[in-house]
Amino acid sequence: MSQTNSSAKAQEQMPLGFGLWLSRFTHRNARFIFPAPAVLAVAFIIVYPVCYTGWMSLQEWFASSLTLPKFIGLANYQKILFADPRFREAFFRTVWFTIVAVTAETALGVGMALIFNREFWGRGIVRTLSILPMMATPTAIALVFVMMYHPTLGVMNYLVTSVGLPPFKWTYSSSSALYALALVDVWEWTPLIMLIALAGLAALPKEPYESATIDGASAFQCFYLITLPLLRPTLVVAILFRAIDALKTFDIIFVMTQGGPSNASETINILLFNQAFSYFNMGYASSMAVALFAVVMGASLILMKVRRVGW
Amino acid sequence: MRRSLRPRTTGAGMTRRDVLRLGATAVAGAAAGPFVVTPAKAQAFNWQRFKGKELFLLLYKHPVVDEILRELPEFEALTGIKVQYEVLPEIQQRQKTVVELTAGSGGMDGFVASLHVEKRRFWRAGWYEPLNKYLEDKSLTAPDYDWNDFTPSSKAAVTQPDKSVSAVPIFVDPDIYFYRKDIFQAKGLKPPKTLEDLEAIAQKLHQPPATYGFVARGLKNANASPWAYVLFAFGGDYLTPDRKSAMDNPAWVKGLEWYSGMLKRYAPPGVVNFNWYECSSAFMQGQVATYFDGVNFAAQFEDKEKSKIAGKVGYAILPAGPGGLHTCMFTVGLAISAQSRNKEATWYFIQWATNKQNSVRQLVNGVGGGRNSMWTHPDVKAKGRMPAEWYATFHEGLKLGKNGLPEIMDVTQYRDIYGLAIQKAIEGGKPAELVAQAHKDFQEMLNSTEK
Repeated sequence: MSQTNSSAKAQEQMPLGFGLWLSRFTHRNARFIFPAPAVLAVAFIIVYPVCYTGWMSLQEWFASSLTLPKFIGLANYQKILFADPRFREAFFRTVWFTIVAVTAETALGVGMALIFNREFWGRGIVRTLSILPMMATPTAIALVFVMMYHPTLGVMNYLVTSVGLPPFKWTYSSSSALYALALVDVWEWTPLIMLIALAGLAALPKEPYESATIDGASAFQCFYLITLPLLRPTLVVAILFRAIDALKTFDIIFVMTQGGPSNASETINILLFNQAFSYFNMGYASSMAVALFAVVMGASLILMKVRRVGW
Repeated sequence: MRRSLRPRTTGAGMTRRDVLRLGATAVAGAAAGPFVVTPAKAQAFNWQRFKGKELFLLLYKHPVVDEILRELPEFEALTGIKVQYEVLPEIQQRQKTVVELTAGSGGMDGFVASLHVEKRRFWRAGWYEPLNKYLEDKSLTAPDYDWNDFTPSSKAAVTQPDKSVSAVPIFVDPDIYFYRKDIFQAKGLKPPKTLEDLEAIAQKLHQPPATYGFVARGLKNANASPWAYVLFAFGGDYLTPDRKSAMDNPAWVKGLEWYSGMLKRYAPPGVVNFNWYECSSAFMQGQVATYFDGVNFAAQFEDKEKSKIAGKVGYAILPAGPGGLHTCMFTVGLAISAQSRNKEATWYFIQWATNKQNSVRQLVNGVGGGRNSMWTHPDVKAKGRMPAEWYATFHEGLKLGKNGLPEIMDVTQYRDIYGLAIQKAIEGGKPAELVAQAHKDFQEMLNSTEK
C-alpha cells in the first residue's frame, strides 16, 4: 500500500517538477529563446545563401547534375582583378551609370521638393501624381520604355522630332544606350529622393530664414547657404539609398537591352547573370557577386564618411 | 518434442501440412496465372493511362508553340492529363530553363529544347531524359507514331554522341529569303541569284524613311544564326578538323564586311539591337522590302490581323556565294526534364504534339517540323494557309541546309563572342580587327570548355 502511495506522490511531483524547471529555464534564457525564430529565419534566408555564394566563389562548377564543384581557391578572384577586361569595363560602367543617374535624380528630386514645399492650388494632387512612377512595376516600366524608344515606331522619337530635334537612337546604339537607361532610372526613382528631401525640408527650423531675410539675403543665398547645409544629412541618406540600388540595377537593363548593344550597358550585375545562366559558369559568377558586394559596401562607406565630414 | 504430436500421415507419405501447403500453392498459382502471363503479352497503348496527372511545361514564344497550344484542349480531352505552361521570350526561356534545372526542384516536366544552342551542355549536365526507352516501348508510344518518319538530319540533330535521343524535333528552320512580291513586280525585279544581286536589289529599293532596303538580325547572340548563312556562303566553317577555331579563314572577314555593310547601309536605324521580333515587325509593317531569317517565322507574315503585307510576300532560296549554294538550319525540339516526376505523362504530350496528325496541321498553318511524310499529305496542298511558294522553298531549304551552329559545349558563349563582333562592325568597327579578336577569344573559350 505504501509502495503505491509513494509512487503516486512521485508521479504527482514529476510533472510539477518538470514544469517548474522549464519555466525557470525559459526565464533565465529569455534573451536567447524569444529572438530564436527570427534568427533562424534570417539564417536560412540571408546568411546561408551568402555563405553558399562565398563558398561557390572558391569553386569551379559548370552547373551540371553530374559533375561536382572543384575547389580552386582564389583563382576566380585573380581572374576578375587581373585577367578579365570585360569585368573591368563593367565595373566602370556600373560606377558611371550610378553617378549619372543619382546626380540627375538628386538635382531633380531636391528641385521638386522645394516646389512642393510651398503652398499652391492643386499641390496635393500634383504631389501624388509625381509619386506614381515609384509605385509602378519596374518590368512593366521597362517594357513600355522599350516600345517608346523604338527609333522608327516609338513615341519618344515622334515627340523629339515634332519639337524640331533630330531623332535619337536611345537604347539602339552603344553610345547612347547607357544614358537612355539612366533616363528610365531617373524617371522611376526621382520621387524617392523627392519624398525624403520633402520630409527633410518640412523639419527645417524657420528662424535662420527669418534672420537671413532681415540681414538681406537673396533667395539663392538662402538656398545655398542655409537650406542645403541643413538638408545635407537627409540628402546623404537619400543618395546612399539610391546609390546602393543603382549600383545593383538589373531589371530595367535586363529587360531593355540585356547588356547590349555591344555590351555598352553591361553592368556587373548583368555580367554575372550572364556568366551564371548563359555560360553556366557558376563559380566565376559567384565571385563576381562577392566583388559587387564589395563595391556596394565601399560606396556605402564612402558616403557615410561624407555625411560626417564638413564641406 | 513429444512424439504424440507427430502429424498423421496420409496417402503416399505426405503430411496433412504438406497437402495444405500444396493446395495453397495451387490456388495461389491459379489466381496469379493471368498476372504472370500478361507481361509476356505487352500492355496495349492507352491514351488514358496517365489520366489525372498534371504537367508543367516551359515554352517560348514562337509560331509552332502557338499552334501546339491552340490544339491543347484536344490533348487534355484525349488523355485526361492537365497541362500548365509558361510562355516566355526566347532568350529568357533558355535562361529560366537553366535556373530550373540547376535548382533541381523537379517542378518543370517538359521544355522547348533549343538544341542548336544547348545540346552538348545539357547532355553533359544530365538534364535531358533519354527518349530511347519511350520510343521502343510499345505500351508508351502510339502504334502510328513512326519515329522513322523523321528525316535523318532532324534525327541526327536530336541524337547525342552516345546515341541517346534527347528531344523530338518540333521545328526545323532553314533560313530563306523573304521579299515583297508587290514591290518586286512593280519594279520588274526577281529574287537574287548571287550576293551581288541581293545587294543591288536592296540598294534599288532603299528609300528611307518610307522603305528600307534590307533587314536582318543585329542583336548580339541572336545575330549568330543568320550569320551562319553568310559564313557558309563565303565558304567558311567554325572548327578545323582537329576542333580548333577556324576564324582565321579569310571567309570570316569578307563575310563580316558584307553583312555589317548591308546592315549599315540598307537597314532601319537601331538594327544593331534587332532580334527576329523587331525584324519581323519592321517587315510586317511594310517598312522593309527584303529580309532573311528562319522559314518558320513566315506564318505571322500571312496573318491578316497582324501583318500589313499578308498576301504580298514572296519566298525564295537565299543566293549562292563564293562558297557555294548553302543555307543554315536550326533544329528545336521538345524534351523531358530528367528531374521530372511525370516523365511518361510528359512523353504522352510530346508524342501527341509531334504525331503525324499534328505535324500536318502545323504544316498547313505554316510551321514545319522534322517529319518526311507530311510534305506529301493532300491536306497540305488543299488547305495550306501559306502560299505554295513557301512550301516549295521550305522543302528545298531542307535539302540545302547545313547545321547552323558548331556542336561545342558552350554555343552561347560563341554566339556572344561573335555576336559582339558583328554589333561592333555594324557600329563602324574594322572587320579585320574584330575577327582577329573574336578568333582569340573563341580559341580561349574552346580551351577552357572543351575538356
